[in-house]
Amino acid sequence: MTDFRFTRRQFLKVTGVTTLALSLDSLGFLGGTAQATEKVFQKWEYKGWESLHRDEWKWDKVTYGTHLVDCYPGNCLWRVYTKDGVVWREEQAGKYPIIDPGSPDWNPRGCQKGCSYSNMMYNPDRVKYPMKRVGERGEGKWKRITWDEAIDEVCAHLMDAIQTEGPETVIFEPGPGNGGWIHLMAGFRFFSGIGATELDVNSTIGDFNKGVYETFGKFQFCDSVDGWFFGKLILIWHMNPIYTRIPDCHFISAARYNGAEVVTIAPDFSPSAVHADEWIPIETGGDAALGLGVGQVLIAEDTYDKAFVKEQTDFPLLIRSDTKKFLREPDMTGAGREDQMYFWDTATNAPVKAPRGTLTLPCDPALEGKFTVTLKNGQQVEVRPGFDIFKEMINRDYTPEKASKICGVHPETIVRLAHRAWKARGHVQVLVGWNSAKYYHGDLMERTMCLLLALTGSVGNKGSGIRGWNESLFDGATALMIREREGLATVRQVLSMRGDAKDMREADPEITDEIVQRELEREANKKRMGMVPPAFLYYYHSNYKQTWENKAWHCPTMKRTFAEYMNEAVDEKGWWKPYVRPARDQNPQVYCFLGTSPARKNRGWWKNIYPELWKKYKFIFTVETRWSTTALMADMVLPGAGFYEKTDTRFPTPHVPWVTLTEQAVPPPAEALDEWEVFRRLAERMKKLGEERKFMKYTGRNETEIDLSVLVKHQTLNRTNADDTLDDALQLSAQLGTLPEGTTIKDLRKEGIIRFTNISKIDIIGKHLATDIKPDEPIVPLTYHTAKKIPYPTYNRRISFYIDHDWFLEAGEGFPVHKDNPKMGGNYPLLMTSGHQRWSVHSIWITDDVLARTHQGRPFMFMNPEDAEKRGIKEGDLVRVHNDFDDFKIHVKLTAAARSQDETRPGQIIIYHAWEPYQFEGWKSYDTAIPGMIKWLDLAAGYGHLNYYRWNWCIQPIDRAVSVEVEKA
Amino acid sequence: MAEVEANKQLSPEEKKRQEELAQQTVAIKDELRKTKRQLAMVLDLNKCIGCQLCSMACKNTWTKKEGREYMWWNTVNTMPGKGTPKDFEKSGGGYKVLFEGKVREPIRGNLPTRKEFGDFWKFNHEEVINSKFGTSVLKATNPDGTAPEWSMNWDEDQGAVGIKYPNSFFFYLPRICNHCTYPPCLDACPRHAIYKREEDGIVLIDQNRCKGYRFCLESCPYKKIYFNFEKLTSQKCIFCYPRIEKGVPNACARQCTGRVRFVDYVDNEQGPVYQLVKKWKVALPLFPKFGTEPNVFYVPPLAPPRLDETGKVDLSKPRIPLKYMVDLFGPEVEQSFKLLQQEMERARDGEKSELMEILMAKRWKKMFGPFDKDPETAV
Repeated sequence: MTDFRFTRRQFLKVTGVTTLALSLDSLGFLGGTAQATEKVFQKWEYKGWESLHRDEWKWDKVTYGTHLVDCYPGNCLWRVYTKDGVVWREEQAGKYPIIDPGSPDWNPRGCQKGCSYSNMMYNPDRVKYPMKRVGERGEGKWKRITWDEAIDEVCAHLMDAIQTEGPETVIFEPGPGNGGWIHLMAGFRFFSGIGATELDVNSTIGDFNKGVYETFGKFQFCDSVDGWFFGKLILIWHMNPIYTRIPDCHFISAARYNGAEVVTIAPDFSPSAVHADEWIPIETGGDAALGLGVGQVLIAEDTYDKAFVKEQTDFPLLIRSDTKKFLREPDMTGAGREDQMYFWDTATNAPVKAPRGTLTLPCDPALEGKFTVTLKNGQQVEVRPGFDIFKEMINRDYTPEKASKICGVHPETIVRLAHRAWKARGHVQVLVGWNSAKYYHGDLMERTMCLLLALTGSVGNKGSGIRGWNESLFDGATALMIREREGLATVRQVLSMRGDAKDMREADPEITDEIVQRELEREANKKRMGMVPPAFLYYYHSNYKQTWENKAWHCPTMKRTFAEYMNEAVDEKGWWKPYVRPARDQNPQVYCFLGTSPARKNRGWWKNIYPELWKKYKFIFTVETRWSTTALMADMVLPGAGFYEKTDTRFPTPHVPWVTLTEQAVPPPAEALDEWEVFRRLAERMKKLGEERKFMKYTGRNETEIDLSVLVKHQTLNRTNADDTLDDALQLSAQLGTLPEGTTIKDLRKEGIIRFTNISKIDIIGKHLATDIKPDEPIVPLTYHTAKKIPYPTYNRRISFYIDHDWFLEAGEGFPVHKDNPKMGGNYPLLMTSGHQRWSVHSIWITDDVLARTHQGRPFMFMNPEDAEKRGIKEGDLVRVHNDFDDFKIHVKLTAAARSQDETRPGQIIIYHAWEPYQFEGWKSYDTAIPGMIKWLDLAAGYGHLNYYRWNWCIQPIDRAVSVEVEKA
Repeated sequence: MAEVEANKQLSPEEKKRQEELAQQTVAIKDELRKTKRQLAMVLDLNKCIGCQLCSMACKNTWTKKEGREYMWWNTVNTMPGKGTPKDFEKSGGGYKVLFEGKVREPIRGNLPTRKEFGDFWKFNHEEVINSKFGTSVLKATNPDGTAPEWSMNWDEDQGAVGIKYPNSFFFYLPRICNHCTYPPCLDACPRHAIYKREEDGIVLIDQNRCKGYRFCLESCPYKKIYFNFEKLTSQKCIFCYPRIEKGVPNACARQCTGRVRFVDYVDNEQGPVYQLVKKWKVALPLFPKFGTEPNVFYVPPLAPPRLDETGKVDLSKPRIPLKYMVDLFGPEVEQSFKLLQQEMERARDGEKSELMEILMAKRWKKMFGPFDKDPETAV
């Protein structure tokens, strides 16, 4: 278009012809209403009406807000605008300071869910009063009761359970839906205070990167998201940041403009492939083969970081060719440590002890070769560095051509990815979510991702590594609990001065602080916390047993029956014995879920949980803000406070290393109460009831002594409200040096966010970061290992690519290998994959009436048009998805982005979660057809880092790549 | 349609009167179009992740009440797709440019229905809560009791039709009112209720003058105007003028967490908008063919390479067909892609690229020209 504009003067020169031509349409536009037309000649003040919208952009009050939900990374700072006593809207505060001058700033963190909590607060499904079921469970008949009645009834049930079956039969299931520190802690404190069983959240939802943990001895490390900007090759692999990391995506796009390459690996042309430099379409579940293929190229072309591999990984450790086990000190000396391994010193041509107390090398260890050592018993055996064996294996099984046959990725693509990785060496960044974690062989996939990092030396640098989870920057809350139990002196006490730590150091002088603390945590959990993976509750008290024992749905490489492994793990070896809570002879009695909707999230809930376990519970209750499906299946629903109705902070993660405030913009609606207050009332009542029943003290089966007379003190941490508790925690963190000196709640109220100044010394989860916070750089984890040469907390103290646990060797998974997806659900031609949806965090926002209109407002699945056509399915059709386990109905959206089926390979249907089951016909959600298998190797333990402690090394439910067929409903 | 009126037999007096009216109308329209400065927005589609934060930011600020509930002044759609209102691309409108560009005659397109916009749904929460489990399903209903068949973002993430895996493609296209230099809505309004603000070129519908004839809805080729069925007026994106007046960027722009949107006066040569639109010419208007000269510009979307039958990368043609991009952004799009790719390559080779620096937008506040105020303190 030209820049031509005519002035009024010019117009007047235009001839009548023009006007006539105009009259054809324009006069038609005038609607033939001469009257209306006449008015245009009147004087008119156009600006007069503009006050309409100016007056709308006004408010009475502004407060800070964030969303107390396990969104990861979350912690976005918002300003909440209130007018006429109602929260009108929220807008990102946009006040994050510049951290690294070389990187983009963090503003304006937030997403459309955060922007809609003001709607969700007033959505019609809000719980406003204590409600009691009056019909049958799930019948939809509710009665409003008073708080006193509610508290009395809950406590009577709790006390009955404790007195008749034992405190372990009270099951508390916390969840990610209410990640407030102080208010959630109130729930934890209450249930731990009465000796209840708490279900481990990671083991319940499956957000545990098993393969990362197997390799690094931990998965709880990650960088701050501004670190992504410094990646040179960003591999989006089993993650969909465009849906799930909305506030962080700009660091990826900026990195790309800064010269980084972005490669997305996914079976479907995922939304996160849209802005990639390359999308690698992969056979669903073929990721380990791809990773090994890339590794093969790097090694075969001799382009790998030898120095890193030798110093940081277990690849130089010697493995006996006869037993496939590491060469150990007892082999060589007849005594000594089982976990003392050896290198082959290329200078002296002899085995040398691999130091356990440092990663600094004592020699130049061989990576390749076959050597002979003489054992203590005189036997001569062949030993080889792990690398040598691994190299032989990948050269044999995972050349680009062979890997390509498994994973469906063109060999040239595999080679190109290897070249890209080498070009970006030191700065390869794997963005993995918890998608791989939910595949049957997800650990194998993750182990190969870690392999690429090791081969390219991409650990411990800005813009490198792999992301896991970590939530313990705010150690003030942890410190509060220690202080309450053992006094402030203990909080400050140097770890090495503690008696129990001393014993450990005497037994193993080369032990690291990190390992000491992990072991202390393990002991503390066994003794006090009562947190357990739910697998044993499920196996001994629910129908999961039958599901898991279906050998056809396991990997064919599982040599024995599932029951055999379970028995060995629990009874013969005793690995999991302390975690069988409630015990097999105890009947589960009371169940409380908080910030979660188990009827939605438990895989195959209708078949696995509902028929037996759900009916065993004598009483089921929750504190909720909205009517979830599980709330509707409960006995009592107590109204909790929304995110802008109380003071709290959400657990901060290194991803966004600030403590972030939410405060009360408006009081909770109707009779709703904040959770801190609910649990305080419950604690008070329990104490009274104990007095009435003369049952104040009792002992749990783990010999924990419970004293109800201190329950209130225990639960409230000696404070009368949540605000003061938060203030205590902030001040403690400041004293401990993790927040700026002198920080109090006043500072937080003023600023909304306060950046952490250092990593916690007292919290093991924080400690897993193994780094320091610098004021002007992203947080880069694991630098203690890479720069200070402190060993990793793995069994062999190094980044571990070889696990010589008997079960792993039996399974052929000593080294990472590829294994096909088992046919979970039966032999069907389509695989069901998933991921978090865009429009809700878990199911918290999924019923929001406004956000629902930004999608179809109903559950749907993506399907390839060719696969649909074969089945006579059209766009928008309602279909029945079924397998041997169960079925459900859902609407179809067709897209060629979904992987299509061919003669040999399965097609793909994609259902992003989490919908409420009550959005599906018969309340059968897509989880209904997911059996929720677990890989038997999850039960392996007794091997250094492969031992349970909270949120770590736990049994994982599987829900990706379940086999299904689809037909028109 | 319009022809019905035009075909009427007119007396010479009537005809003369009509001609006069037409002349005066055009003169007035010209006045209403006049601006001293023009605000503009550039949206970088290589950053847009389709999250709808902009849509919600706008919704919560402006369209939660008084008959605006069904409206989405800001929308994001997956392209290719039918979008919102459904099939908006084919709904007609725009200008007929006559007499070598001297006269722009609005074209009357379709009047989108409420349902094509997605309408306003109600959900049966009460019923679900109070029914036996499994018997009642939570579902949406249109105000007329029907089940929804479209929404603002119904065909999200479906993308190209008639393409086979693995060569599907899609991207996200956020849209607001384009605040066109030649807004057909302005010309089509018999009430002269639509005007461009002199100081900033924002196109507004005077809610006191508007009588709800809806010719503007018909003539807008982008279909970004909604009819308020309660107030009986037409309404649309107001470019957040109450915020702009206080030095605060638009809600959609300031709240965009993907940092997609730049806002500035188009004549500010130092600002990113000028740099991207005028200097580098990588930012282009949507559908320039309609001749409305939008003041919203887009950096067109790159895509990963397509694959041949063997699964090998095929660089002989782009994943997103060029023809489709030309349809959307005009023939200039080819040059825009070339520049983007060339500068990206330079960045990969470790060279400094001014264009990449602008697009990277390291400092958030600098994306908004003079509009750097915090809303909390602005009022």
